[in-house]
Amino acid sequence: MKPFFNLTFKLTLAAMILLGAAFFMSKSIDIQGISTEQLSAEKPLFGADEYPYEPAKTSETDSGLSSNINWAILIFSILMVLVLANAFDISKYTAKITGRETVDQNNVNKWLMLIFMLVGLTAAAWEYVYHGKLILLNDSSSAHGVDYDSMFSITLLLTSIVFFVTQFILFWFSFAYAKKDGKKALYYAHNNRLEVFWTIIPAIVLTLLVLRGHQTWRSVVYAEENNNGKIRSIEVFAYQFGWKARYAGDDGVMGLADYKFISGKNELGLAYKPEVDSLLVELKAQIENDKLQIKELESGKALSLLQASFADAESLRDYKSMESTQKEIDAVNNGEKLDDLNASIKRKTKQIERILAIQNNQKQFASIFNGAANDDIIVQEIHLAKDTLVTFNFRSKDIIHSAWLPHFRAQMNVVPGMPTKFTFRPTKSTAEAKKERGEEFEYYLYCNKICGVSHYNMKIKVVVETQAELDAWLKTQQPAFIKKPVVVPAVISSDTMMIQNDTIKKLALN
Amino acid sequence: MSTATITDTHTADHHGHHEHHEPSFIRKYVFSTDHKMISKQFLITGIIMGILGMGMSLLFRLQLAWPDESFMFMESLLGKWAKDGKLDPNYYMALVTIHGTIMVFYVLTAGLSGTFSNLLIPLQVGARDMASPFMNMLSYWFFFASSVVLMSSFLVETGPASSGWTVYPPLSALEKAMPGSGLGTTLWIFAIILFIVSALLGGINYITTVLNMRTNGMSMNRLPLTIWAFLLTAILGLLSFPVLLGAGLLLIFDRSFGTSFYLSDIHLNGIGALSNSGGSPVLYQHLFWFLGHPEVYIILMPALGISSEVISTNARKPIFGYTAMVISLIGISFLSFIVWGHHMFITGMNPFLGTMFMYVTLIIAVPSAVKTFNYLATLWKGNIRFTPAMMFAIGLVSLFISGGLTGIYLGNAALDIQLHDSYFVVAHFHLVMGSASIFGMFAGIYHWYPKMFGRMMNKTLGSLHFWLTFISAYLVFFPMHFMGLAGVPRRYYQFSLIPEFGIWMDVNILITVAALLGGAAQLLFIYNFFNSIFRGEKATQNPWESNTLEWSTPVKHIHGNWEGDIPTVYRGPHEYSRPDRELDYFPQHEKGDGEPEHYHAPAAVPETTFEGKKEKASTVFFASFAHLFLKRA
Repeated sequence: MKPFFNLTFKLTLAAMILLGAAFFMSKSIDIQGISTEQLSAEKPLFGADEYPYEPAKTSETDSGLSSNINWAILIFSILMVLVLANAFDISKYTAKITGRETVDQNNVNKWLMLIFMLVGLTAAAWEYVYHGKLILLNDSSSAHGVDYDSMFSITLLLTSIVFFVTQFILFWFSFAYAKKDGKKALYYAHNNRLEVFWTIIPAIVLTLLVLRGHQTWRSVVYAEENNNGKIRSIEVFAYQFGWKARYAGDDGVMGLADYKFISGKNELGLAYKPEVDSLLVELKAQIENDKLQIKELESGKALSLLQASFADAESLRDYKSMESTQKEIDAVNNGEKLDDLNASIKRKTKQIERILAIQNNQKQFASIFNGAANDDIIVQEIHLAKDTLVTFNFRSKDIIHSAWLPHFRAQMNVVPGMPTKFTFRPTKSTAEAKKERGEEFEYYLYCNKICGVSHYNMKIKVVVETQAELDAWLKTQQPAFIKKPVVVPAVISSDTMMIQNDTIKKLALN
Repeated sequence: MSTATITDTHTADHHGHHEHHEPSFIRKYVFSTDHKMISKQFLITGIIMGILGMGMSLLFRLQLAWPDESFMFMESLLGKWAKDGKLDPNYYMALVTIHGTIMVFYVLTAGLSGTFSNLLIPLQVGARDMASPFMNMLSYWFFFASSVVLMSSFLVETGPASSGWTVYPPLSALEKAMPGSGLGTTLWIFAIILFIVSALLGGINYITTVLNMRTNGMSMNRLPLTIWAFLLTAILGLLSFPVLLGAGLLLIFDRSFGTSFYLSDIHLNGIGALSNSGGSPVLYQHLFWFLGHPEVYIILMPALGISSEVISTNARKPIFGYTAMVISLIGISFLSFIVWGHHMFITGMNPFLGTMFMYVTLIIAVPSAVKTFNYLATLWKGNIRFTPAMMFAIGLVSLFISGGLTGIYLGNAALDIQLHDSYFVVAHFHLVMGSASIFGMFAGIYHWYPKMFGRMMNKTLGSLHFWLTFISAYLVFFPMHFMGLAGVPRRYYQFSLIPEFGIWMDVNILITVAALLGGAAQLLFIYNFFNSIFRGEKATQNPWESNTLEWSTPVKHIHGNWEGDIPTVYRGPHEYSRPDRELDYFPQHEKGDGEPEHYHAPAAVPETTFEGKKEKASTVFFASFAHLFLKRA
């Protein structure tokens, strides 16, 4: 009875898995509309001769086909498992009948340990060679990246040695000291000298790594402070879901900006008086509108309007708008709508108050609305000059983002309410990188902190070019508001920028 | 459940203060105060949560491998979240978030520590039950309620919490920032608060029981390493979970009552400038990681404790350097409280703090290295029995090495600039914290299954389960290191939109196939686990010929654990293969004839096996290594 039950269970399981897999396969073939002949045109799982930076072939046939092959592999492995399980079961029963174990499992597992070590370490070595070619190492496009890469290489070398040696020892010991009948293990409880030895050696190695890391870390994070030369400052602005960059205009001074000034026309919230004034007008109008809506709610007019539009949608059998209207009706009925409107009025009143507080404070007003922002240039692409230090001053509109420039070994979080920055020197122009990595290559800055639905596509192109090219490009860009006739070099000292940062911080505190 | 193991056993109880009537079904199986039953409840809930967590990971792995494919079964499973069989990006993040939460808290904290602390603390220290059995029962039921609340967030219209398992504000604080930050996140926070209550109730109990209820002769230096690990884990939890509770409460205030602890200077699409001012999102990160980092060790240390016990028993050798093992556990516990900032090197916090956190973080590698070498030395010249538990313990050591070494990169502030939030991090923590701890949990389940259910699990299926899981773990996580080093960010819904990531599509497919294989391997385990409860081979009292006290209790579970008096303990837990004994084990409670107070081992390495090199103790390791090649028979 028992073996019979076992067998039926396993067969049912296998059948279920097979059916499921067949279902997947049929679906994927149906949707892709591929005939089975095309299956033979499949490219290998790992295209060994593929150019490393060749852009993805995302055509549907490609992934659809490889997926079928993989499903087949999966089904095959599952079947293998079931067959093996049954085989072992059979051996168990024969063992019971004959009274001795047919398979010495300890011996099997001992050899498997050895095989796993050999195959595993070979595979790991293969990965080092095959995928190791694709990693970003020794091809840095920034000055500090060279230091970073050497730090990385040292760590990679040391940890790889430890990895291979300890894994070897672990599995070798497992193989060599497997159970033998009549043998007794060695009673060996401790050896202080040995333990001191393998406490001190890692401690020394780690101390060296820490010291080296400390040096690299300080040189990266204090790059701005340690540099007496010229630094170009740009602002990198993050929002759900995209990036914008801001350059100083012809006056060479970056104007101030604040989240309170952000409006439809003033996306970065620059301190530009006319726009801020029209924002105030707009906010006041919105508050009036909210108040009107509250009145309509109280008089019951809003509800009857919604009900009328629900009836309209119902007569048209427009289920989608019926659903959304029903939601609105619910929001009116349970008071959510009223709460929202009140909250909105409160929020906007506060915003007006805060803006007016700045405008009414003579000193603050003068320092913020100094006209520097008027000619700032807002762009959709970051352009950098080769071999010139640049500081990215990060500002977030809404939530935390993270700016990652993998080719420059640079990353910094973008935190609302807290200015952050990263300074580095690009050393390889886009043209040079294209020569190494293929014509289609571009530098990008990616978002690397989970930030919502389009996080995976939040990026901005970065172009590294010569100073002359950069200047020419900047000339073609339109200033955000008005062009000022004053002309000073487009590079400013870090001192000025620091003072400005302080002002931004103070402003943020308000 | 285990009807055979719990029958009319109370007649055997000689202790007057225990009630002598058969408890009702509800008292016995549902609201039980018996630590053995509670441990089974923790384990089975943990396994169910594990299945759900793993299922979620398979769903989002399918999306990553075949972003353009339609999986129609997903639509029937998830409805509007997978229209036309394509996973919604919001739901992708919800799955990632809940997968992380489930695995970290529900499986590897409650499922691992909850199960084995409950089962082993009273049995191994020689106590009749926990210090407070009622609190222990509450601990389980708070955990259960927490699991239900968490899973109920899948029934919410806007979906479960989706801002990553760390739930960083402002993303998680603002309902309009993403759908999951609505009711889903509220439920997440409540689930975690319930979970913290559970962890605290359990933790207080574990600490009290270990410190106060040890049997005669069970001094602290005779405690099995499992108990040391559970004790330190409980202390870590007790000191760090309340901080997360505080962080969660402040987040609730920010979300619902208009405070600004974590919010400042925010202009949200469709809403406008928020009034919140003066808060800092980085404050949340500090509070979160003050729990978050000890949490890593809350997960890992029980697994290390279990593997110490399993390796010593099955290598038939004393664990090498018991004192060093305990000291490294204490060292890791202490250090884990002052390294949280290494999760925040690039959040914009003062670079000086980064330096400090880098120093203390890399110090942790030293006790970890000591533990690894001690495991290796324990295997050396052992007589290894490859039970499934032993193989999982060896697998743990292997994964602990692989994952631990990458910690040296990530703990280094300079290297973290590039590696932060990349796939390298995903590979690192899945190996060292995820897989290693799961392997510890499996080792524990296979090893103490006879104690829990009175029956044996199928050894063959266990071996198969081990090999498939082990291979799958490496196939899934090893290539991820290289993806991270090539600049692939984590938590991306799809890589095909960025040309440079296209070259990793093949690897993504390989990883998903390996993950599916790993998932299939767990079916073997689940079958073996539940099948063996009813139809497994009957267990003997001490099936692994182990030394520790739990194997001196009868196979049938009885209330109060021991018939008659609790045994007295005469020696440490790892006296295997002692030269002065014929048997290769020596149970802690067995009185030796004329045994000295402290048994001193004969010279560390007998001369016959070492050809007169015994004096050169510091070279033993390398000498032994050479010895292997020369004298391997």
